[in-house]
Amino acid sequence: MIEFDRVSRRYGDQYALRNLNLAIDQGEMAFLTGHSGAGKSTVLKLLLLLDRPSGGEIRVNGDRITGLGGGAVARYRRRFGAVFQDHRLLFDRSVHDNVALPLEIAGFSPRDITRRVRAALDKVGLLGSERADPASLSGGEQQRVGIARAVVARPEFLIADEPTGNLDPQLSSEIMSLFEAFNQVGVTVLIATHDMPLICRLRHRIITLSSGSVVAGDAT
Amino acid sequence: MRAPSLPTTNLLRGWSMWQTQHQAAAVSSWKKLKARPLATFLTWLLVALSLGLPASLLLTLNNLSAVTAHFERPPQFSLLLTEATDLKGATQLKQTLEGWPGVASVELIPRDEALTQFSALTGLDALLDSLSRNPLPHTLLVAPRNAASDAESALLVQRLEGIEDVARVVLDTLWITRLEEGLRVASRWVLALGAMMLLATVLALGNTLRLTVIAREEEILVVRLIGGSMAYAWRPFLYTGLWYGLGGGVLGAMILWLFCGWLVGPVNALFVLYESQQRLQWPGMHYPLALLGVAVFLSWSTSWLACERHLRHLERH
Repeated sequence: MIEFDRVSRRYGDQYALRNLNLAIDQGEMAFLTGHSGAGKSTVLKLLLLLDRPSGGEIRVNGDRITGLGGGAVARYRRRFGAVFQDHRLLFDRSVHDNVALPLEIAGFSPRDITRRVRAALDKVGLLGSERADPASLSGGEQQRVGIARAVVARPEFLIADEPTGNLDPQLSSEIMSLFEAFNQVGVTVLIATHDMPLICRLRHRIITLSSGSVVAGDAT
Repeated sequence: MRAPSLPTTNLLRGWSMWQTQHQAAAVSSWKKLKARPLATFLTWLLVALSLGLPASLLLTLNNLSAVTAHFERPPQFSLLLTEATDLKGATQLKQTLEGWPGVASVELIPRDEALTQFSALTGLDALLDSLSRNPLPHTLLVAPRNAASDAESALLVQRLEGIEDVARVVLDTLWITRLEEGLRVASRWVLALGAMMLLATVLALGNTLRLTVIAREEEILVVRLIGGSMAYAWRPFLYTGLWYGLGGGVLGAMILWLFCGWLVGPVNALFVLYESQQRLQWPGMHYPLALLGVAVFLSWSTSWLACERHLRHLERH
């Protein structure tokens, strides 16, 4: 359960978020939408503790996260899998080593790592590209490597910032199906996107932001 | 109800996880250095030379100190008597001085004996034979009591100089004292130079490591984003520093051995010429080990500083 309780984020005298209230249930899949500058990315950044709110409180499974610091931040982030529009893959290592990174951080043994990486790559349909250089893959394939990396350590939450931003409709639809598949096994999924035609076809809650506040889709 | 977790199992798991992560960081940073052999070698050379130079100077200095320590040096005064003093007067003076409380022993070297010794030592027999008379005076060698302080010695010299029959008092060990003072100056000079070289190493290495951190900024950001701790993000750079130190230290020790190998022939030949039992001291084990230790410590702490400065900055943005 993710809760934003009257959360504000101010940069100078500009509000990116203003008294935002938001709740995502355990096991839910929801889309966060709105035109650019509405505050979608800010919500995800605050949730990953990449930024701190100027006011209000964020709770995850009832625990206040806004006070976390130091090593607790790293441990907290391991509960999330994050997917980005620009994939954020590391091009100095193979697909396998990119996907293995969260497992290495979590301290899995090399044998477990290989097994889990292969399972994750299998799920996103890239088992054959294990040894490939990520730069040699297409945009859609790179995004699927990014998703494999986000889910390989079996996080509680999967969040994505414009995961289909650079993909054609066919590929975008495949990517969304992947997210739905992970949601079906119990992962809470929150996706920021402005691809309205795509998400309107899927039957999940759509939360619309405008000028840093929720204007539609807040169930609570 | 959850089964109580066994703390030992957790500890073991934590230990093996810590080991795995360190091993991975050590191996990956080594592979990155191996991928750029020339740059890595140049950095090693930088560390090796800037530590090897002060170490060679220190070794040279230690060799010289060992040489001076080998000189027999009972503090001893040579009393050159006046021309007018004959052997009888000299023997009388010897007996008088032996009665002085500050004097341990007195030895008389008659002028004829002195001339024989001198011609034997210098090989100038022909020249000395051509002289019409012996130019050397009778000499008394006065050894003060062992525990005599510098002030007491100075007082003794004063009293000896006051004797009518004494032309000059010569302190035989003065040149050794001068050499020792010279060596002290040189050792300070070496230490100051060494400190400057160390500082230069830290600056140059710091810059290399800073560039490494900048080049891998994206990796650090991704690692932090997916839940890597600061320690995890730092580790590859600390290992890079460790490899630079180890490589530079080993290379520095090799340079030190080469330096000694190059010097050993001429230096030992010189010792033989001076009829000294002394031989060149090799660096042994403690020099290379100390050099390695300093190199590793310096490189590691420099990489720690580079991380501290750059990664903390990165964290805030």
